Formats: sequence, structure tokens, C-alpha cells
Amino acid sequence: MQKKGIKNRGIGENPIPWFLPLLAVLLLVFVYPIIEIVRFSFTDAGLLDTNYSVTLESYTSLFTSPGFTQMLIITGVFVFFSVTFQMILGLAIALLVDQGMKRKLHGTIVIRTAVLTAWAIPGVIIGIIWMMMYNEADSGVLNYILSSLGIADSVAFLSDPVNALVSVTVANIWRGTAFSMIMIYAGLQTISRDVIEASLVDGANAFKRLFKVIIPILSPVLFVNLIIVTVETFNTFDMVMALTGGGPGRSTEVIALSIYNSIFNQFELGQGAATAVVLLLINALMTVIYFKVLQKNQEVG
Amino acid sequence: MESRKKRMLINSLIYVLYAVVLVFFLFPLFWVLSTSLKTVPELFQTPIVWFSSDPQFENYAYIFERTQILTYLMNSFIIVASTIIISLIVAVPAAYALSRFKFKFKKAFMLFILIFQMVSPVVVAIPLYRLFVQFNLINMHWSLILVYVAIQLPFTTWFLKGFFDTIPQALDEAAKIDGCSRLQMIWKVLIPVSTPGIASASILVGVLSWSQFVIPFILLDDSALYPVSVGLINLQSTAEAITTHYLAAASMIAILPVIILFVALQKYIVGALTSGAVKE
Repeated sequence: MQKKGIKNRGIGENPIPWFLPLLAVLLLVFVYPIIEIVRFSFTDAGLLDTNYSVTLESYTSLFTSPGFTQMLIITGVFVFFSVTFQMILGLAIALLVDQGMKRKLHGTIVIRTAVLTAWAIPGVIIGIIWMMMYNEADSGVLNYILSSLGIADSVAFLSDPVNALVSVTVANIWRGTAFSMIMIYAGLQTISRDVIEASLVDGANAFKRLFKVIIPILSPVLFVNLIIVTVETFNTFDMVMALTGGGPGRSTEVIALSIYNSIFNQFELGQGAATAVVLLLINALMTVIYFKVLQKNQEVG
Repeated sequence: MESRKKRMLINSLIYVLYAVVLVFFLFPLFWVLSTSLKTVPELFQTPIVWFSSDPQFENYAYIFERTQILTYLMNSFIIVASTIIISLIVAVPAAYALSRFKFKFKKAFMLFILIFQMVSPVVVAIPLYRLFVQFNLINMHWSLILVYVAIQLPFTTWFLKGFFDTIPQALDEAAKIDGCSRLQMIWKVLIPVSTPGIASASILVGVLSWSQFVIPFILLDDSALYPVSVGLINLQSTAEAITTHYLAAASMIAILPVIILFVALQKYIVGALTSGAVKE
């Protein structure tokens, strides 16, 4: 680590001009809007109103409305299950691809590419594709498969509130697994062969090796991944918008969608802004944890 | 060491799991491709039609002729290409300075940049919408591109800083002795040797910007300016007129450029994803 406060050693040039374009863009597109949204949250403004008064009403009505609690629960369920399964599947596939690579099996690159492709497809289109698959008619492909296998008949994937939340979460897991997979895969590449071989000599079996050796070594990577994926999932908008639009009713209205709906459909800028502040606080909390982990990693590394 | 028999057994097990993973990830894509080629009766038929007996390539022709998809694609290309170029123009000097200058609070400044990576685009889009309406910047590509650039900047700057760190300072010194100014050094030495890093960053910025939805969705309401992500939602919402097989064809058209790019350049993508996120 470099010590703070070391003067430019004779270079005598100022770093600030190099950052001016970056700072200008960040100020305009992030700092100004964040200040504005916090300010709006304390007003009763409509979308384009210029006359409004300062009030705490947005927050009081937000926190007392049953819709808000419900929205938080929906978001929580969506985030928790998305993140958990993305990480478990990501880890499993990363281990699989890693083994395949080490064993020089054919087709390993095909697998990696297939998984990554899911990540590269725009969220809107993922929503549209899954909407087609969740088609509830008999010709809907998932319903057809489930009934052919005798598992279930005519599942109301998207028209039943609870099912819809499950459906949205599954589609999101499909979308996000690739990112976790590739991060964990990269982490696996940093584990030296010696460590694995030492544990082989110790006679550790595959499961012991996974939980006693590999996962502990990977834990910094897993943690960073956890934070990034959690933030991404809290911010999800496009895929849900295309798949359910937040419905039926408001049963899949996650927080980012709720902000949008309050402002652009109900024209309640104050309320939407207050919800946005809640999302910002969640993002800020995640960022703080992230920084703590980064710091710890650097001390270890 | 494993015995031959055990090795064969494990390898077969891996292949079985490969098949499961492959089906899980490719099935949705297969389904949209299959749907995009169906005739109307085949859409509603049971048992399900997996492969159309009479592939309807006309579905694609219909989309090209009857919708604005070409405009959407063109808009996406313009927005994405501009975003890549401007992101680099803004991020390279900043990354260079972070890599080569020593100054107070450098670490704090790097974290400050990273904070914005975490902010939800929907949150910033709303005040920007008001601002853009006020100054008549709504429905313009260049103001939109500025927002795209900002969203990509934290990652791009960090990533390029990391890459520049791997390039020996000795090169800087040599260029300085040759009488290069810092700008000349960046242009003539640093950028040429950093091509792989810059390529990786560009691809990632490209893929993420191609997917970007909420920003154009909020900041544009003129359909002639829509990128492909918003264009598709627009097609979907007029779904009474456009049936599933057409929507599937449009989806295929929208994802094909990304898939081709991805398969062709995946080496850079894997490199970019792993080095940017895991290090530091």
C-alpha cells in the first residue's frame, strides 16, 4: 500500500486536469440527479411541476401504505432467491467448467459460451423470451413439458400472483448465473495446483475439498460477487418490465419498477422520489459493505 | 492419481452435467428461434411443434418491412459506438492519471468513482428527464449518449487503470527521454501497448450499452430515435397487431449482433470480466 501524502516527486504536474472530463460527466449525470431526487422526495411535486411545497408527506404516506411494505417484501423475495440461486448455480457451473478444462474435455468452451450468451442478451428480450415460454395455453412450451412429464397441468405461470413472482425470479436466475459463473471461474484460476494437490495427499474427498479448501480460498471473490449481484438485482427493471410489467396487480412490482410507476403512471414525483431514496440507501449500504471487503482483501493480499 | 476407470466415470458424469447446463441455457434461445420460423397454426398446435415443417423466413421479412426495426438497430449502433468512443476519451486520461500520478486521497478518489457503479439508472433518469425537458434536450441522441457514457465510466476507468498498472513505468521514462510529452506518450506508447485492455473494455461497454433500457425508455419518446431494446418493448406493447412469431423474429434480429460478437470475441470478454471485477 502506498503512503498517503507523498508529494509528486519532481514531476511537478497536477493530476486534476486529467480528471476534469470524468468529474464533469459524473457530476451532471449522477451527483446532480441524486441531489435532485433527494430534494423531490421532500416535496409534493408532480412530474413536471415547478411549483410545489416542501413536505414530509411523501415519506409518511409511503411508510404507512400497505403497498410499500408489500413492494419491499416482493423485492426482498426476488433479490434473495435470485442471488442465492445465481451464486449456487454459478459456483457449480464454474467448478464444472474448471474440471472440464483441467481434464481437457471437448466442448468446454461451448458450455462457457452458452452460459455467457445468456448474460449478453438485453434484459428486455430475456423478458420477452420467457414470456413466450410461460404462455399459459396448452401450446405454451413449459406447460406442455410439465404436463407431458406428468408433473403439473396448466400452471398459471404469470396470471397467479405467487407463481408470477416465482416465474420472474427463475427468469432472472437464468439471466444472472453467467456473471457469477465467470467471476467464480476467474477466482478458481487463481487457486494454485499445489493447494489442491496438498489436499489430495491429505486424502480429502471431493466434498471436503470443496468446503474445506476451495470455498474458503474463494471467499473474498464470493463476497465481492455477492455484493455486485445483490446491487444489480435490486436495480433490476428491464426484464421484469418486459415479462410482467409488475403484474398481475402489483405482485411482481420490484422497487425499481415501483419508482417508475409512481412517477410516470401515477405522476407522484414525491412518492416515487422517496422510494428512489430508499433504493439509494440500499445501494449505499451495499457500497459500504463492498468497500469494507475490498479493504480487507487488500490487507490480506 | 485416478485410475483409468474412475477417470472415465468422472468424465462421463461431467458430460452429463454439461448436457443439463447446455439445455438449461440454450433452450430459451432455441425456443425463440423455433417460434420465429413457425406458421400461425403451428403457434397454437398441440402436441407442440418443435421444428416448423415449413420454416417461415417471411416472418423476418415482415419485421424488416413492416416495423422500424432497421431504424432501431441503426440507432443502437450509433448510440453504442459513440458511447464506446466517448467513454474511452473520458476514461483513458483519468485512468492514466490514477495509474501514473501520486497524489493525496487517491484511494478515496477511486472509491468515490466506484460508488456510482452502484447507483440504479432509474434513480438518475428521473431528475435527468426533468432537466432535459427544461433545456429541450429530450429526444436527442447526444444527450442520451452522455448518460450512457456516465453509466459506463466507473467500470471503464477502474478497468483501464488496472490495465495501465501492468504496463512498466520504464516505457514512460523511455518516451520522456525521447522528448515525448505526457499526451504524446499516451497516444504513441501507452495506447498501442494497451490494445488488448482497451478492446476488452470496449466490448464490455458495447454489450452493456446494447442492453441498456431504462435510460432510453425514460429519456426518449420519439420512436424514430429508439434503440433496439426500447423498440422491442414498443413492438411488444402493440402485440395485438404483432403476433408471437413476429415478436420472436424481432427478438432474434435484436440479439443476433450480440451473440455473434460474443462468440467471436469471447476470449476478450472473459478476460475483461475477470480482471476488472476480481482484482483490487
